[in-house]
Amino acid sequence: MRPRGKAEGRPWLRALEVLRNCPSVIVHAVLLMSQRGRHQESKTKLEISPSETMKAEEENYKEEDKEPKSEDWRPPSVFGAADLKNRAVGLYNIGQTCCLNSLLQVFFMNIHFTKILRRISVPVCGTQKKNNVPYQMLLLLEEMQRGKQKAVSPRELAICLLAHRVTMFVQYDAAQLFLTLWNLLKKQMKNPELVEKLSDLYTIGVQEHLACQICSSETKRNSSMLTLPVPLLDSGFYMLKTLEECLQCFFHPEELTGHNMCFCEHCGKKTPFRQCVKLVHLPQTLTIHLKRFCFGRSAYIHKISSCLPFPQDLDFNEVLTEQQCQAYDSEKAAWQYELFAVVAHSGSTSCGHYCAYIRSLTECKWYCFNDSLVEQVSWDDVKSTYGHSDLSWGQTAYLLFYMKKHPQ
Amino acid sequence: MAQWQEVQQLPPTHLERVHQLYTNAALPMTVRQSLADWIEDQDWQQAAEPFSSHARMLFHSLLTLLGEQLGSLGPGDEDFMLKHNLRKARIDLQAAFEEHPENFANLVANLLQEERCILRRAQAKGQVEAPPAPSTAPQSSQEREIQQRLAEFRTALQEAERAFRHMEDLQDTFDFSYKMYYLPGQDHSHDPQYAQHVQALQAKLQSLDRQRREVVAQIQQLLGRSETLRDFLQQELSAWRERQQRSCLGAPTDTCLLQLQGWFTALGEGLFQLLQLLRAVGELRQKVTYEQDPLQSELPLLEKRLQEQLTCLLQSAFVVEQQPCMPNTPKRPLVLRTANKFCTRARLLVRLHDRNHRMEANIHIDRDPPKTRGFRKFNILTSSSKTVLVGDSPREGLVCDFQYLTLKEQKGGGSGKGSRGSNEGPLAVTEELHLITFTLAYAYCGLELKLETSTLPFVIISNNNQLSSAWASVLWFNMLSPNPKDQQFFSTPPPAPWPRLAEVLSWQFQSIAERGLSREHLQMLAEKLFGSKPSPESALPWTKFSKDGAAGFSFWAWLDGILALLHDHLKQLWKDGLILGFVSRKQEKKLLKVKRSGTFLIRFSESMLGGVTCTWVEHPESGPPAFRAVVPYTAAELASLALPDIIRDYQLLAEENIPENPLLFLYPDTARDEAFGPYYSQRHEGILTKKKEYLNQRLIRVSSRQPHETWQTEEDLVVATEDLETLRLKSGGQQPESPGTVPGGGRTPGTPQAVSPGLQQAVVEGVVLQQAVAAGLGTQQPGPQVAVLPSPQQLGSGSIGVLQTGMGNLGPPVVLQLLQVGPGGQGVLPTGGGAIGPLLGSGAAELLLGNGAVGLLPSGLGDLEGLPLQEPELEAGAVQLEAAELLPTLDDSAVLLDPSDPFLPQPEDVALPATPSLFTADGDFPPLHIDASDFQ
Repeated sequence: MRPRGKAEGRPWLRALEVLRNCPSVIVHAVLLMSQRGRHQESKTKLEISPSETMKAEEENYKEEDKEPKSEDWRPPSVFGAADLKNRAVGLYNIGQTCCLNSLLQVFFMNIHFTKILRRISVPVCGTQKKNNVPYQMLLLLEEMQRGKQKAVSPRELAICLLAHRVTMFVQYDAAQLFLTLWNLLKKQMKNPELVEKLSDLYTIGVQEHLACQICSSETKRNSSMLTLPVPLLDSGFYMLKTLEECLQCFFHPEELTGHNMCFCEHCGKKTPFRQCVKLVHLPQTLTIHLKRFCFGRSAYIHKISSCLPFPQDLDFNEVLTEQQCQAYDSEKAAWQYELFAVVAHSGSTSCGHYCAYIRSLTECKWYCFNDSLVEQVSWDDVKSTYGHSDLSWGQTAYLLFYMKKHPQ
Repeated sequence: MAQWQEVQQLPPTHLERVHQLYTNAALPMTVRQSLADWIEDQDWQQAAEPFSSHARMLFHSLLTLLGEQLGSLGPGDEDFMLKHNLRKARIDLQAAFEEHPENFANLVANLLQEERCILRRAQAKGQVEAPPAPSTAPQSSQEREIQQRLAEFRTALQEAERAFRHMEDLQDTFDFSYKMYYLPGQDHSHDPQYAQHVQALQAKLQSLDRQRREVVAQIQQLLGRSETLRDFLQQELSAWRERQQRSCLGAPTDTCLLQLQGWFTALGEGLFQLLQLLRAVGELRQKVTYEQDPLQSELPLLEKRLQEQLTCLLQSAFVVEQQPCMPNTPKRPLVLRTANKFCTRARLLVRLHDRNHRMEANIHIDRDPPKTRGFRKFNILTSSSKTVLVGDSPREGLVCDFQYLTLKEQKGGGSGKGSRGSNEGPLAVTEELHLITFTLAYAYCGLELKLETSTLPFVIISNNNQLSSAWASVLWFNMLSPNPKDQQFFSTPPPAPWPRLAEVLSWQFQSIAERGLSREHLQMLAEKLFGSKPSPESALPWTKFSKDGAAGFSFWAWLDGILALLHDHLKQLWKDGLILGFVSRKQEKKLLKVKRSGTFLIRFSESMLGGVTCTWVEHPESGPPAFRAVVPYTAAELASLALPDIIRDYQLLAEENIPENPLLFLYPDTARDEAFGPYYSQRHEGILTKKKEYLNQRLIRVSSRQPHETWQTEEDLVVATEDLETLRLKSGGQQPESPGTVPGGGRTPGTPQAVSPGLQQAVVEGVVLQQAVAAGLGTQQPGPQVAVLPSPQQLGSGSIGVLQTGMGNLGPPVVLQLLQVGPGGQGVLPTGGGAIGPLLGSGAAELLLGNGAVGLLPSGLGDLEGLPLQEPELEAGAVQLEAAELLPTLDDSAVLLDPSDPFLPQPEDVALPATPSLFTADGDFPPLHIDASDFQ
């Protein structure tokens, strides 16, 4: 059922095996056993167990799949936790994967994304299947939707990601992992149409302006971003009060003087510049990255846990001024957003936990995805991720996902 | 109540859903019914997990129990169907789930959850439909939300504990198997049984690992929800703080802490329980750990997060329940006087404590004093530490109650205010804010914390006369300070927005006299302060509120004067809305213009501190309506005579009038006696059978008005006689024209006669006795008066009128211009003096007269020089007035006076020369002749 055994000799695949067979490692860790040979031996034997369970599980599914067909008069609610929770199914934490789990849930709950994901072409051979991130994500999604359990394990996907040199089982920065994941998805989707759709769904278009303050020569450059990394502190290191202020701060022109001066071709020397970013395009799903982790005066990174309220409804036309935008009116008219998901982090920089608050697009209810636990919550619970200056270990919103109200 | 029982009691619509649920379910309702309790007690959710051996065990237990149930049923017919159904169910279940009992577990788990769901919905609906029980106060949605979340938190906690116990079981099983079967030292390569054991061990470890992650996820989730809950409680607490601050300012709000205490305690309990759970989990980790053990990485995080939440909760739960307050000024907390006792109380809302740990609370004053020059330092004289009292009832809670605290200023080093001389600090004493900080060493369940809380800033005064301005500071601070600990607030006090200030001012009246300020009142005050209609942006600077004032006193001093007056003398009238109070002159005219003559209103004086006055309207036959007002009464006057009595007996003396009471109708249109009747001081109904030695006496107030002279508004104090036994007063209600009938009216003894309005007539045994004596304005002090009048029964003396001479300058200008109109209205009586004359005649006896008015006495004095007041036989020396004919009965009154009465005023008691001061030397007054024979 699973292609195995070819891993020998390739170190990263070995790692996969280790992961796959983590229970065996577990036992040995307990025993602090050092005999290599025995390790190998026991490993091969122990491997039987998970695969058998898997078989059993699969059979279960098959059987349950049949059930509704033969007895479709039964209310679906009796069958699976997944149905009860309206397809909000948890993901087991298989070792510091709370960050991955949260991001996956944000992807999966986004119907615009799953529409794209469902259209991917299935890779031909087994290895390709195994190493194809979009395919593995689709498999996981299918498993979640089909699953009658309250949660499923993202093991296959984790293995797949490992194959792409994404380190697993370590503390992750959600913004970084989001970028990695998204890039992998984009790279491995073969269909250019889908790639474009994916880009359209997530990328933000901006125009960078760089103007020499002496000769007024200006260079412009269009670029796209996956997230808007907004600062929580203004240039004077004062806390910003709301998300709107953070956004304004992000689009606020910056004077480059002193050490930051740039070389001007016209003037032929280093001159003070004025740098600013103008907003050109906003995607269907807008990701805002709150830069809560920052370098303090010393070199070590600390987390800003103070309160930053974010609205449920966000209108960029009200937040930004005319000068900060570089877009047509028709584009701007669509800049009406409502909050879709919050990836929240609790703990400190060295040790923390992620969970996701996601508003189901179909039934407009908030859910909290905490690894294997999924719970319906209220907006008040989401608000508790604003942060508290007196709770440095409490949960704070880290990534915000806004959804366009009126898709174009 | 068991869930199945509750389900059965559902209303029909919801019950229908339950039936639907079971129609299609593989579990027949018969089984659910017969094994209800057992089914509800099992953890199906757990059993539904993959790799769970629990499911099989449960499934088989169920089958066995069904078998037992079947066996226990009798052979009777009534059980026949049940037996059949159960048997069938047993066979069906066995066939359907024997292979995969976890499917069965999943099914049952979901069924139970659905049931709960239906129950919840039914309850939620029931709450909306059913009217709230009358005994419980209606809850706000926020309160309901908190209650519900607390309940959910408890349920989730129980679930986590159950998951923990399951994990414990799994670990024990694993531990046992591991010790039994795992023998790594030997070569088992050819032992297939060993391989099986290791495989089983592997599976056990895997399920243990999964369970651990599950428990961790549950605790994460619990912590997440408790953060929301804590946010809610925090909001409620800050709302309470705000309420407390408002209630300190006199607002009528509820500052009870019991509900908050219940909530805080519930959450605290839950979190401490979680802490215990976390510790137990930690112990399990100590026993077994492995690579990628979730507990290894997650536990420290969870512990830190939980401890932080607990710390935060406890810190905020320590509150000052009662702000520092002196017991003798309960309405004005936060003003403390040195050497005076005060009390303050703090409470820990999380009512959890360790009985073995003695908790001690300490207080400090100004722990971090502002670095202001001249900032006074104080010591708390009494003990500053106290053991926290632990009451058993929730009402008591964890309270540290500091009573009988006193403060003493630290002198020395030239730092005190008293000794600082020229280097005076920037702040006045009453703008200097002090704080008391409570600290509490808290320990519970191994958590040790130092909790802290502070009172609101208070003002320390050393003299009672600073109380008023100190209170102004307290008002200003609590109304405007964004930071409740800002001791430097008055270095740059912000201005007060009018709407906010208006509200706070209204509270002052509410708290002191139980009636706040109306919109009209506030309108008038705003116009006074801002000179126009207030806009929402109007703001009053601190100095304008408390320091500067055109009239020589600040706005606050003026208002506080009124408050004091209300509190001491006019509380009831104010409360019942009889005092219009804050009415501008303009407004007052507007109001009265359209009312009939004699309509009056009571308002506060704007020109003097703590004064109240009446203004009435008169409509002359021609010309514009006239408005008249008396010089405001202050606490000094009201102390001797209450305002309702003043109004009842108020007399206006005009030269061509007999005294009359111009106050007929209280604005808008209530007859005077109807409005004020309930407030008149009590009459003593005489007992006819008992011979009374003295006549009663009564104080009345009159104003005199001179003809052809400026209108005199100032009123005089009149001491009026009261009857012995049958005295009835006829006053009010009469038309102003009635005076004309008075003189001629032959009266029957003992029969009360209609007399001019306001003119008090005592009819005693056919005798009308009236006396009026005048004294100079200002010299008439209530104190001496009372002293001189030995007792109410003293002497049948008539009314003692101390009439103030005309001091035109005191009269409001408005009145001046109306002068000509006034007297013209009543021409029947010869002169005003005429009316007074007789009063004086008989009343001359009243010794009060004399109160030292001499200086003010105008001419005319000479006429009275001969007053035989020194003589014991008053009646003999009684005054005969020319006007005596007007009141023929006067003569008789003299009879009452017993010359031999030992209590008759002695000459030394009397300051004789005062008497004639009744009338200014106008010459218009007929000379007073005293003829003793008239009294014989």
